[in-house]
Amino acid sequence: MVKEEQELANRPDNTAFTQQRLPAWQPMLSAGIVIPGFVIIGLAFIGIGVALFVTSHSIQVLELDYTGVENTEPCYRCSDPSSKNCVCTLEFSIDSLFEGPVFFYYGLTNYFQNYRKYGASRDDNQLSGDLDYFKSPGNDCAPYQYNSNNKPIVPCGAIANSMFNDTFKLYQIIRGSKKLVPFDGKGIAWWTDYNIKYRNPSVTPLKNAFNDTVKPLFWSKPAYELDPTDPANNGFINQDFLVWMRRAALPDFRKLYRRITEGDYAKGLPAGNYSLEIAYNYPVMSFDGRKKVVLSNVSWMGGKNEFLGIAYLVIGSLCVVMSIVMLIVYAKFKFPEED
Amino acid sequence: MVVLQCVPVISSIPWYISIIPLFTVLSIRALKDLVNDMARRRSDSWINSRPCDVLISQSFNTAQWKDLFVGDVLRIRKDQVIPADLLLLCSSEPHSLCYVETADIDGETNLKYRQALSATHNELTSHPSEEALAAFDGVVLCEEPNNRLHTFRGQLHWRGECLLLDNEHILLRGTVLRNTEFAYGLTIYTGADTKILRSCGKVRMKITRMEKVFNKVVIGIVVSVLMTALLLAIGSGVFSAWLMNDLGVMSVLVVDSNPVYTGFLVYWSYIILLSPAMPIILYITFEVIHTVHSQFIGSDLEMYWQPADKPAQARNTSLSEELGQVGYLLSDKTGTLTQNHLLFRQCCIAGEIYGDASVTAEDTEPMDLSWNPFSRGGLYMSAPSLVKKLRGQECPLSRQFLTAMSLCHTVMAEWKNEAPVYQAASPDEEALVCAARELGWVFLSRTRDFIVVSELGVTRQYQLLALLDFTSQRRRMSVLVREPEGGLKLYCKGADIVILERLQKDFPYLERSETALELFSQACLRTLCVAVRSVPEASWEQWSKILAQSAAMATCERDALLEKLYDQMERELQLLGVTAIEDRLQEGVPETIALLQQAGLKIWVLTGDKKETAVNIGYSCKLLDSDTRLLEWQELRQILQSPDPMVSFFKGRQTELWAVDKGRTEGKTAIVLTGPELAEFDQRPDWGTTFMSLAAGCQSVLCCRVTPGQKAEIVTLVRKHTNSVTMSIGDGANDVNMIKTAHVGVGIAGVEGGQAVQNADFALSQFRFLQRLLLVHGRWSYRRISIFLRYFLFKTCGFALVHIWFGFLNGFSAQTLYENWFIALYTVFYTSTPIMLLAFFEQDVSSESSLRWPELYKIGQRQELSSPLLLSLSLLHAVYASLIFFFIPCGVFYNTAFDYQTMAVTVSMAATFTAIIEIVLVTRYWTKFNIAAVCVTFLLFFICTRITHSNRLFESAPKEYFFIGASEKAFADPVVWLTALLTACTAILPSMTAHALNVILTVRSKHKIHSTPLQPVELRSKMTRGTPFRRSSYALSQGAGHGRLITSTTSMRSIAMSLDQKVTASKNSTDKFT
Repeated sequence: MVKEEQELANRPDNTAFTQQRLPAWQPMLSAGIVIPGFVIIGLAFIGIGVALFVTSHSIQVLELDYTGVENTEPCYRCSDPSSKNCVCTLEFSIDSLFEGPVFFYYGLTNYFQNYRKYGASRDDNQLSGDLDYFKSPGNDCAPYQYNSNNKPIVPCGAIANSMFNDTFKLYQIIRGSKKLVPFDGKGIAWWTDYNIKYRNPSVTPLKNAFNDTVKPLFWSKPAYELDPTDPANNGFINQDFLVWMRRAALPDFRKLYRRITEGDYAKGLPAGNYSLEIAYNYPVMSFDGRKKVVLSNVSWMGGKNEFLGIAYLVIGSLCVVMSIVMLIVYAKFKFPEED
Repeated sequence: MVVLQCVPVISSIPWYISIIPLFTVLSIRALKDLVNDMARRRSDSWINSRPCDVLISQSFNTAQWKDLFVGDVLRIRKDQVIPADLLLLCSSEPHSLCYVETADIDGETNLKYRQALSATHNELTSHPSEEALAAFDGVVLCEEPNNRLHTFRGQLHWRGECLLLDNEHILLRGTVLRNTEFAYGLTIYTGADTKILRSCGKVRMKITRMEKVFNKVVIGIVVSVLMTALLLAIGSGVFSAWLMNDLGVMSVLVVDSNPVYTGFLVYWSYIILLSPAMPIILYITFEVIHTVHSQFIGSDLEMYWQPADKPAQARNTSLSEELGQVGYLLSDKTGTLTQNHLLFRQCCIAGEIYGDASVTAEDTEPMDLSWNPFSRGGLYMSAPSLVKKLRGQECPLSRQFLTAMSLCHTVMAEWKNEAPVYQAASPDEEALVCAARELGWVFLSRTRDFIVVSELGVTRQYQLLALLDFTSQRRRMSVLVREPEGGLKLYCKGADIVILERLQKDFPYLERSETALELFSQACLRTLCVAVRSVPEASWEQWSKILAQSAAMATCERDALLEKLYDQMERELQLLGVTAIEDRLQEGVPETIALLQQAGLKIWVLTGDKKETAVNIGYSCKLLDSDTRLLEWQELRQILQSPDPMVSFFKGRQTELWAVDKGRTEGKTAIVLTGPELAEFDQRPDWGTTFMSLAAGCQSVLCCRVTPGQKAEIVTLVRKHTNSVTMSIGDGANDVNMIKTAHVGVGIAGVEGGQAVQNADFALSQFRFLQRLLLVHGRWSYRRISIFLRYFLFKTCGFALVHIWFGFLNGFSAQTLYENWFIALYTVFYTSTPIMLLAFFEQDVSSESSLRWPELYKIGQRQELSSPLLLSLSLLHAVYASLIFFFIPCGVFYNTAFDYQTMAVTVSMAATFTAIIEIVLVTRYWTKFNIAAVCVTFLLFFICTRITHSNRLFESAPKEYFFIGASEKAFADPVVWLTALLTACTAILPSMTAHALNVILTVRSKHKIHSTPLQPVELRSKMTRGTPFRRSSYALSQGAGHGRLITSTTSMRSIAMSLDQKVTASKNSTDKFT
């Protein structure tokens, strides 16, 4: 017996695997499965498309461009780069209740936040509060690494340097008098950004951590004084800073500025006249950009997004059309053979 | 590429991102190569360490083959393979003759004799051999090592004499010593210098046709990637120039404030970004798949040959898909198609047919031959009536028939264990003599003048007067003997045509014998006619006088005279009967050939053997039908020389067919060529094309008498003039060259001789395994690899090209649209497992159906799954998908608050979904592994993405894992999901439609394949009555027979003569006739 086994030492194993006889499911597709399949996919897509379209339609959006390109526009005088601390006011009216919670965005166009060298120009170690990198920021930050006196810039890099610094105040005009619409600036940044990714150095007061460093060139205030009203909202965990540091995907983008969730406006903005007071600091004219303010409410799918619904409808219809074409092909192919 | 990424200025993604996939696949590849090399090393060292006896200071010691040096004196034992090219010094046999079997060199299994120089023989055998050999101090001058197997020129300078050496004195490496106890030889060429290795041809790197097509596509991709990168770089320069005008924050980012330099850097960055589209990894994955396919071939039980314990073996693991595209099969004959084992199956004596060929040899009922003490078995003919007649002394004709069989041959007998063992130059003769022995007519021994035969126990001695030897012109041989009673008899055997025209008039059994001949030839048996003539004493005396005179004449005149003389003697014959010998085919050869022909393969036979034998085998293995017209050289030449060869060919064929059978216009023609005729092709290169187009219209092509080099030339001819894949199959060293030359070489692992297998890409034990190798493994492999290539191309290009479109919206800054880790993991972890498993397991139809429907094989021959068009379509699909990958998410995210990281996650999700949906669409054979792989890959994407975006990793290295939290948020966002789903579905829509249309259009034929019941392949060719072709011949060596040797008696043990006497002896034998 043993001898026999030795003689057949090279005999391959008789397993389903080696003999390529693994049990397998072989779907036998036929026209009877394929064509209805296409119809079902098509109909499902159309269904989703309709749902998205309807939802998107129910979302209210108000978009106001305040760049001031034309001299008729209220912010025209501020668009001149030489004017400092310019404030302009934009008047607008709402016809019907703008349902809350209302989100207040600022938007920029033709602004390439996704430019690679721009996006890479930051030091994540510095931003996570590592004091070593306060003294010597990473090379990625160049040319916003050191100032002309060879002092380290904190926060370094192009993104931080170019932080959006227009500020807004919204008033409702009730019988000639202005009523401030309260803004909620808490929690507009990502939770992970606020709690993990960005950290202030554990030095109190915060100001001391920034000794021997300089603020970014374009900034008017150092990082530890970004929000004078709330000491906790300073340094690298300032909400506006966090929002800005999260790069936009495409050259036209919005970023959340504030939410309107408090007081009389928790249910939304009632119909009426409003006045938007803008501290106009951020230059965009040089690169042909535009600045906008966007008021919007949200649904389960976030902001208004008509493209997605329409795209679903188009693809869904395409599937249905395709299935009809296939049916015709099938009929043409089948009948001559049967004759 | 990795080097590029190490340059920080241009590195669009960190260097380790592309090293991870590369490293993974490289290490797998390295492992595979290591295993391969080890296997090769093992088989090399097995050959190198075979033992042989080397003379070291007066005694023979065992050494290994690899330790041989030129000048060593070797002792070769009986049945030992000769390890190097040797000069035969002497042997244990008289006159230092020795016999070698050259099956491994030229495919002939008959024995050839080699003889030492008389000088060395005389000097070295007179003493105890070791001492004399140790003292041997001759100097051999010879040619440079070359590949001419049949010639050798050299000189031996020894003791002041200069002796000429030729091929007769040389024992070639690879031949086997037979019937000689010992032979002593001086090593002339060793190792790679030996003639057989020289004629093995160069080692070629074999690249499959699909790889070639694919290489072109890859080159196309590389060029277009470089071009695209250039365009994008120009865009980047323009954008930088625009940025420079801006006084804002970004302008400072332009490197050195120089847009051109920025563009230059971005060029390299884009090359890095688009590099996944250049599928380097694919090549390595490709090899892994090839290896697995080879393993499957090796582990197939249906290709395992139990008697020899040999499984099939894929020695070259990178050709498996080529097996699915073979258009031309060029086969050796001996040992490949035939077993080289001849059986006496039937005979016809006095019009009476004995034996039944319709029963296979194994099923033949063995006859009771216990009355015969010499019976050794091996007769596969059941004819008790014949035995009864023979023993009952009833039929004198049948007794004479057997006497003829036992006398008329050139076989030599050697006594061993009280029984004669026959040594024949021709296997046919051996079969005949053995059959006679079984039936009671035992050839006992021969001396120069006498043949001793035991006839049913009565020993009789015949005096051999003359031996009229076989030549290929005469196609017959005769012996003239004096019976013990005193009468003179001429026994003759030969091809039917030559014998029948020499018969007496009014022979009674002629008609019935002719019917028997036809019957035998229909059963594909090789026939010989046996005849006898009583020679009057007077005419013998007169004849022998003239014969004696002829000895004094010049060679050419003498040959003509002999021809005439022989012709005079061999007439007025009386037909005794017809023998029918089966040249045993390898098991399943006709079935395999029929199946392969159905699969659209052109099968050519290339053999060193005689034309008659080759044609005969062609008929018996159903390569030729009985009504196939043979197109021979004269006719072929006319056609080739005619101004319009195709027209004259078809014209000739049609008229012929019209005359023979009006119903058939199908291509029933076969071309038969011989080596010398083929040599003419060298002078007329323009014939090649014409010949190939002729051959394409023919059933088969048989090339006989071809040398190993010519075999390779034929393969080259086919390769040059068709774009089909060629496959060579052979078993001997003479096939090595053609095995190496063909696209795919298959070696039959025979009983001995590993040369062919050593050089082959695939080793099989049986010819019939070829059907499984080609139709099942080859077809599957081709299909799997085609699907794999197209899928791989699609998924990597679609994935990488996104960056081109993104470039338009990020200022051509070489910004990635994916997270770095996704790029690293996508090719290896997220998309490779399912497609690898598909490439391992995919079956469109089962192996049984593949064999039942050989027509399915034509898909591969026509390259239907891997045509450049299909590959371009896959690329086009990839470009389309990349557009969708970018522009649908772009449309959704444009002018919204979604950030870059969310978009990156969305696009990567869409790309992964697309890859998964596509593989689901492509897979038709869902094993549990496939299902598991798809599910695991799907989950793996989410798990890995979450891990690389996790807090912990970020804390350990903030710079590398800066996507922290992106997926957490994205995976919870319905818009991201809906976008990814829509993107994936849209990207896949074209291929889904294509698949659906394919299903609709082909559902019918597929259904047929799956539902039709099994039908055996029709094997028996239709017998046509009154076939004009009879196949009668017997196989002999390429030269003349052993007649000279027998009549010169140098080999006869009973009369030992020295070599000097040999000349006189042969003179004597002719003198004797006076």
